[in-house]
Amino acid sequence: METIIEMKDMIKVFPPNVVALDSVSTDFRKGEIHAIVGENGAGKSTLMKVLYGLEPKNGGEILFHGQSVNFKDAGEAIAAGIGMVHQEILLIQEYTIWENIILGIEPVGFLGRINRVQARKNVQAKIDEFKFNLNLDDKIEDISVAARQKVEILKLLYRNVEVLILDEPTAVLTPQEIPQLFSELQRLRDNGKTILFISHHLDEVLALSDRITVMRKGKKIATVEARDTNKEDLAKMMVGRDVLFLSKREAKQPGAVVFAIKALTYIDGNKRKRLDDVNLQVKAGEIVGIAGVEGNGQFELVNSIMGLTRPTSGQILVNGKELIAADILERRKFVSFVSQDRSKMGAAVKASITENVMMTHHRLNKQFTHWKGALLDYRYSRQFTRKIEEQFGVSMGSMDNPFKSLSGGNQQKVILGRELLLDTPFLLLDQPTRGLDVGSIEYVHEIILKMRMQDRAILLISADLEELFRISDHIVVLNRGKIVADLATEKTNLEQVGYLMLEGKDKEDAKEIR
Amino acid sequence: MNIFIGLINGMISGATPILLAALGGTFTYYAGIFNIAMEGMMLGGAFFGVLGSYYFNSWPMGILCAIIGALLMALIFIVFTVFLKTDEFVTGIALNLFAVGATTYMLRQIFNVKGVFSNPGIIPIPHIDIPFIDKIPVLGDILSGQNLMVYVTVVVLLISVFAIYKTRFGLRLRAAGYNSPSLDSSGVRTSTMRIWSLVICGVLCGLAGAFLSLGYVTLFSENMTAGRGWISLAAVILVNGNPWGIALISLVFGFTDGLGLLLQKFLPNQFTSMVPYLATLVSLYFYSIQKRKKSI
Amino acid sequence: MRKKFVSGVLGIVVALGLGAVIMLIEGFNPITTYSALFSYSLGGFYPLTTTLRNSVPLILTGLSASIAFASGPVNLGQPGQLLIGALFATVGGLYIHLPAPLMIPLLIILAMIGGALWSGIAALMRRFFSMDEFITTLMLNMIADFFTYWAISYPFFDKTAYSPMTPQIDKAGWLPEFGNFNTNILVMVLVFVAVWFIFTRFTAGYEWRLTGQNSIFARLGGCKIDKNYVTVMLLTGALAGLAGGLVVMAGPHRFLKGLGANYAWDGVMIAMVANNDLIGTLLYGLFFSSLQTGAVGMELITAVPSEFIQVLQSVIVLVIVAGRGMLDIVLDKTQIKRKARERTA
Repeated sequence: METIIEMKDMIKVFPPNVVALDSVSTDFRKGEIHAIVGENGAGKSTLMKVLYGLEPKNGGEILFHGQSVNFKDAGEAIAAGIGMVHQEILLIQEYTIWENIILGIEPVGFLGRINRVQARKNVQAKIDEFKFNLNLDDKIEDISVAARQKVEILKLLYRNVEVLILDEPTAVLTPQEIPQLFSELQRLRDNGKTILFISHHLDEVLALSDRITVMRKGKKIATVEARDTNKEDLAKMMVGRDVLFLSKREAKQPGAVVFAIKALTYIDGNKRKRLDDVNLQVKAGEIVGIAGVEGNGQFELVNSIMGLTRPTSGQILVNGKELIAADILERRKFVSFVSQDRSKMGAAVKASITENVMMTHHRLNKQFTHWKGALLDYRYSRQFTRKIEEQFGVSMGSMDNPFKSLSGGNQQKVILGRELLLDTPFLLLDQPTRGLDVGSIEYVHEIILKMRMQDRAILLISADLEELFRISDHIVVLNRGKIVADLATEKTNLEQVGYLMLEGKDKEDAKEIR
Repeated sequence: MNIFIGLINGMISGATPILLAALGGTFTYYAGIFNIAMEGMMLGGAFFGVLGSYYFNSWPMGILCAIIGALLMALIFIVFTVFLKTDEFVTGIALNLFAVGATTYMLRQIFNVKGVFSNPGIIPIPHIDIPFIDKIPVLGDILSGQNLMVYVTVVVLLISVFAIYKTRFGLRLRAAGYNSPSLDSSGVRTSTMRIWSLVICGVLCGLAGAFLSLGYVTLFSENMTAGRGWISLAAVILVNGNPWGIALISLVFGFTDGLGLLLQKFLPNQFTSMVPYLATLVSLYFYSIQKRKKSI
Repeated sequence: MRKKFVSGVLGIVVALGLGAVIMLIEGFNPITTYSALFSYSLGGFYPLTTTLRNSVPLILTGLSASIAFASGPVNLGQPGQLLIGALFATVGGLYIHLPAPLMIPLLIILAMIGGALWSGIAALMRRFFSMDEFITTLMLNMIADFFTYWAISYPFFDKTAYSPMTPQIDKAGWLPEFGNFNTNILVMVLVFVAVWFIFTRFTAGYEWRLTGQNSIFARLGGCKIDKNYVTVMLLTGALAGLAGGLVVMAGPHRFLKGLGANYAWDGVMIAMVANNDLIGTLLYGLFFSSLQTGAVGMELITAVPSEFIQVLQSVIVLVIVAGRGMLDIVLDKTQIKRKARERTA
């Protein structure tokens, strides 16, 4: 097969000192599905962004059809025939499908007026040609994530690209939607398109791709034929050592009920039921995991527990104390919270590390202040930060540096340290490993399991089913604001939970899905 | 009856500069720019309008110079926010103060006066009588005989609606504000759309300034825009950029302007001058409580 | 810290250079102009004390804006709060007669109450009706402008005067002066130190700053952000009001039309160039004051009108703020180049 793209000695540096691509060379062939795998931060997205012109390269050469190219922006790449579907979908919510697709190459009439009839006809023709199940007048905000992804792909096909880049396309899909995407991608490949596919799910990669390039810490490790390799080898290349896909949970008898939610219901301003009669309890020394497709009530549940929104009715109890009407400071005496978005809710990234560590402690722990809480004790705060640094193995320069100077894993360690040292009976963890590399994920899991052994009650919300299966004692499935199942981890499997997440009920005849 | 017609005409001339500037603001609003520099652009326009009209003894040159003056301000805004990536808020505030300083300085340097420059040599923008319509009682007094700029404003309103909602330009403009990475990945540079929206805003603020100094009155006085740019900004925000809504809000403000003049018989004029600003607060109140109802 | 200093000095030099270019175009000699400017603001006891005296309203309104912006509220109401503060101090000074040691603190407190009252209106509108303080404070500025104009034209009008102004306040309310050294600077320094301590060392200031950086994080951390919002609005209003009160008590000892001049807007600009840093606000306040004080001398000696300084000020703001961003970009670029070279070598 002929080579369509060749990348030679690619270098990319992110200031101040992250080398995202370290002399990476690789090639892609026409009409293949080529997967690029690696941990978070291995440089796989960066490699694709540099190819696509979204990030300027700092060194190296790209050959496309044997010609040296250097795209300055996405527009140039698309014009040349390379298109990319991003992880966070780049469509305009307020526009219809056809408006999104024609954006940038609109058919126009007199005075630049958009020719609606022509535009809709062209888009419909493309939908028919590739047999996509889409209604061109639907607004993006009204359609499912899987459909949005199709629109993105269609948008690129409408521009007649030869090479399609997909950045972790399955991350936003449920287990049931993935096979459909894969068969569409295979059909495109059979039509002669080249597909570059970023992922860190090795099962998918092996099922779908022809060749696989493995990256680690900004370097290319190898490019292999998919049929000549297996999951264990790939994982070893990715992480650089052997990886165990096993639960490390020790057997433990849970204690008394610490955290309980009773008949919690939340109806939003548009009269939509976001939480529907949610009942839940977490015992001391127990990890309860919440599974669900994003947007099925997790957000509202977290906000209700933390006091950011006032639920319509129901009870929230910690150690028997009613918190439904308590202010946030009162709740924080009982609840430690790790949010899914570090920079949005978990920290003030421009403030110093110490100032981030002081938060909440400055109100609840008397040692942080003098004069009845009016004056801060910065010396004690620094000692405390030192304690977190040592206890949680944080590597930081100076604790006066801004929080954002820390790497993602270290940021999460600081946040965990701050929250766990609050010494609350209950921990609320909302996707605590999101965006972390494998090493940090393992570390965070270890800490969570340690907290379990210390008899804390832990509620874990995660979009990563493997994570839930690895550390939780119970898995609760949330669907459309309702709890549709409460399963002991040992007595269920990925397929069952995946189906429950999507359909809200058990499958009648349990068949293999993949 | 005369009071009624007077009130309506006062409303129209009060609404015109606000509507023009706010229509400019709506383009930048849709392009996703936090543009608070309308005040400065308008002031630049008003000064250069007087300058052009006085030197060339011609009101069309006045309008042309007003547009150039406001465009200069817009250009500074573009250089700093689009190319140098300076904070829009800081640039806007600094630009507004720059406009006050620069016009006052030039007033002193060029015309050798402090505070106000008025001169018979400044040719105002004429009023236009529309044949036949001006004969209709009452309606004729309102529809005909308005300042040329009033009719221009109506045309600008219609063009804005068409351009924003029906054309390729509009589709890309709104995309720049809704989701700029999406527009960029569609092969259209967001910065290009932002620059064009600021240029349009500059032109329209220039027209608004020209109306202020060559239509509403025929003179230039220090800081004569008196917060109209801010009111325009409020109007844009209140209706989420919808041009028809802006037209309606501008008329309401124009009405309070006219009402203020009418009330001068009963109240000291310092109080009547407050009316448009109070009206802005009141409309913001209604907007906010309505928005809050939706979000809960 | 060193980077801030470098970008500040660099920015001022570039802005003065741009100013020189404008002067050359206009046909003035930049060197004589600048030397006149700075000899009238810094060259000797009298110029220096005048610069200090004039810096007080700039620094106080700058402090008001810096604290507000750094804590979240976009309080742009300093001009209005300054006027109302000045009016409160004036009215107090007209009708209350006490010995100076009581009178001066009383008028100072009145001025702060006036300013806080005016910002408090905006704070209430935000708390109860979710009205954005960014627009309400601007509208309240215009309303304060007309209201004080009315107050000095009718109820408190000095019947012997030809233009709108009040009579002079009780002499006990005049701030003492030693030579040309006015004690308003002492009041300012006292307030500055107190505010600096609250802002950087107190629990309250910590919560304000963290709320300004990430309000949802602060809220989840247990900070009472609604209460803090109102406190910050009241404090910053009081600071702007104090600026107005001190203008009356140190200067004309009465409220005359145009009293606030541009002090408050200049304060907003000072906060912006200082990037809401308190020490920076103090330094830039002194610098802006030296420009404004020297402007009069510049006009006397050369033909450059004093209004030129207004233009120069906004150029300085734009150049420094834009330069700050550029400096970061340039530093990043050189770092990238160095790293990339290491990798290829």
